[in-house]
Amino acid sequence: MHIRILFGLATLLLLTSHSRAQLQWDNLVQQFQRTPQDEGLEARFTFRNTGAKAVTIKSLRASCGCTTPRLEKETYVPGEAGAVVARFVFGDRKGPQRKTIEVRTDDDSAGPVLLDLRVLIHDPLTIQPALVYWKRGDAAAAKTIQLTAEAGQPVRIKRIIASNPRLAAKLETVKAGEHYTVAVTPTDTTQKESGEVFVLTDFPADAPRTYILQVRVK
Amino acid sequence: MIARAARQLALVLALALIPAVVSGAWQLAWKKAEPLAAGEVRLATAREWGARVQWVDARSRAKFERTRIPGALLLNEDEWDKLVGPFLDAWDADKTLVVYCDGGSCEASHQVAARLRKDLMIGGVLVLKGGFAEWQGL
Repeated sequence: MHIRILFGLATLLLLTSHSRAQLQWDNLVQQFQRTPQDEGLEARFTFRNTGAKAVTIKSLRASCGCTTPRLEKETYVPGEAGAVVARFVFGDRKGPQRKTIEVRTDDDSAGPVLLDLRVLIHDPLTIQPALVYWKRGDAAAAKTIQLTAEAGQPVRIKRIIASNPRLAAKLETVKAGEHYTVAVTPTDTTQKESGEVFVLTDFPADAPRTYILQVRVK
Repeated sequence: MIARAARQLALVLALALIPAVVSGAWQLAWKKAEPLAAGEVRLATAREWGARVQWVDARSRAKFERTRIPGALLLNEDEWDKLVGPFLDAWDADKTLVVYCDGGSCEASHQVAARLRKDLMIGGVLVLKGGFAEWQGL
């Protein structure tokens, strides 16, 4: 008798697992290339319920507060398609970015699904380093910052402006549109100093960017 | 009949408890033994360093304003350009920077630490293993 009940339960479990609802995702990883001027993007992660039961999406959890996922609705009947739309606001990010969204449904037998959003926020001007500093008492020797434009994407530096006259900055053109240096020299290092060097460029033409170099005597 | 059913139920529950206990113990052991990734530090170690640590909060401004590790400085990528100046004014070059975000799967602390190291070329930058949740003891 008991064996029959156990067998019945096992059969029921087996049948349930075979007929379970499931979402079939079209593209779990999406990749984009953008510039800081784009400010953000939206990615659509489309899916279809290929199972035999309705599926309810219980939660969407992004790995970053900068990424907001949304759904048109929560429950999808068999055969029905839908999409998770993820809005990624760049803020001041640059370089390669990877944001994930964990999707949990009422059928989590296979664990949550991870949607993967990869964006290269491409800045054509590389600044190395973006900070120069001296400790108090250090020799007041010049420190140099390299500004290098990406090959094939010239960025011309029109001029620089130092915010603190005790932290003098001098621009030198190594190769116009490609490579510049900024040499910063403190008047002395006897006291704390704080300043910025504003680097005015001609790129992009419609809204030229100003970069900021940080200078400190600590 | 009822007593027999109760005994069987107790037996089933006891059998179900065995894998649960084993799994729980394994997970606790795994959590303790989880290795540090490159550039990470455990809370206990950072606490031992005391005043030689400067905490850096890589979460959003709203979360920072709600609650934070005492003495932490706000620096996140949402507002990097705006925050980096005041951050550097407050920064003590002799302290080790320990960056944290929410914990769990958050990546903000690693991203901010990478920019401190690579863009600003600041040495002695670490990421708090487990993030703010670890600090809160969650």
